[in-house]
Amino acid sequence: MNIMGELAIIFGLCLAAEGISALLPITMPASVISLLLLLICLLTGLIKERQIQRASDFFIRNMAFFFVAPCVGLIEHLPTLASCLVPFLIIAVFTTPLIYAVTAWAVQLTMRLCRRKEH
Amino acid sequence: MTELFETLRSSAFFGLALSCGAWCFGLWVQKKTRLVLCNPLVIASALIILLLSVLHIPYSDYAVGGSLISLMLGPATAVLALNICHEKQRLREYFLPVFVGCLVGTLTSMGLILLLCHLLSVESTIAAALLPKSVTTAIALAISESSGGIPGITAAAVIVAGVVGAMFAPAFAKIFRVKDPIAEGIAIGACSHALGTAKALEIGELQGAMSSISLCLCGILTSILCLFL
Repeated sequence: MNIMGELAIIFGLCLAAEGISALLPITMPASVISLLLLLICLLTGLIKERQIQRASDFFIRNMAFFFVAPCVGLIEHLPTLASCLVPFLIIAVFTTPLIYAVTAWAVQLTMRLCRRKEH
Repeated sequence: MTELFETLRSSAFFGLALSCGAWCFGLWVQKKTRLVLCNPLVIASALIILLLSVLHIPYSDYAVGGSLISLMLGPATAVLALNICHEKQRLREYFLPVFVGCLVGTLTSMGLILLLCHLLSVESTIAAALLPKSVTTAIALAISESSGGIPGITAAAVIVAGVVGAMFAPAFAKIFRVKDPIAEGIAIGACSHALGTAKALEIGELQGAMSSISLCLCGILTSILCLFL
């Protein structure tokens, strides 16, 4: 497939997701809906992997880059942040490793329990 | 001369060129130093912030081009479906551990934040803003706004959590002795959303796929659980 055709599929899905997001009664962002939509399309075979391969590779390989602009956007919020810097840093920084540890252990423990049941 | 400068800086290409250039510089610095702290995202953003403040360029000028880059976060998240699809066999096999992990991760995140906000006697508008900080920006902002949080603080907390996760994910795996790639991926997605997922993709394809699943599932679980608070 032509690269523009690949992009048309991906952008089209994002557009459809925005429509669904606007219609849904609960708050669910378009990006998550578009991921789910694409997953459904891939699983049902409506969209084949090769039809979006090259464009997807580009997005996935450069994913971190797309966060540059939102990160720079932090300068807009510096005055608000300064007013609650200490609790902000404690909560934003130190809870991250704890969440990581608890989640990873929960997955490993459940796996072990599942395996024990099988034997 | 100043007029020309003003025309140039308010062009969309200013933000685009600056972002791409700063990103390449960030990659170069990381390659040279190999330090965890020299994350290309951190270097690039810091460099742009520095340039904008030194040259007194308003953020709104950068945002003309910058918003085009942020816009691409949508499709970049969507194509993660491809990674999930590659691992569908393994996902079927480990459905229960994956689901339990995401649920535990979401509950831990919300519980810890509520507890810390209470202990540090943080104002309720700030607590509401920090509560969804472990999920991807779009979900976090929607949750924060619906519960009266300050959006700026939410955006900042989401980015900080993501950067910390992306920078230290390999170190966390060593410290907490996480050897299973599935557990590693789920944990990265649960604590640092799409930014962590970008790192998980570098660690391995399976980790990346699991992190993508966790990013979605934790986002959905957080938005549901917040309805009950």
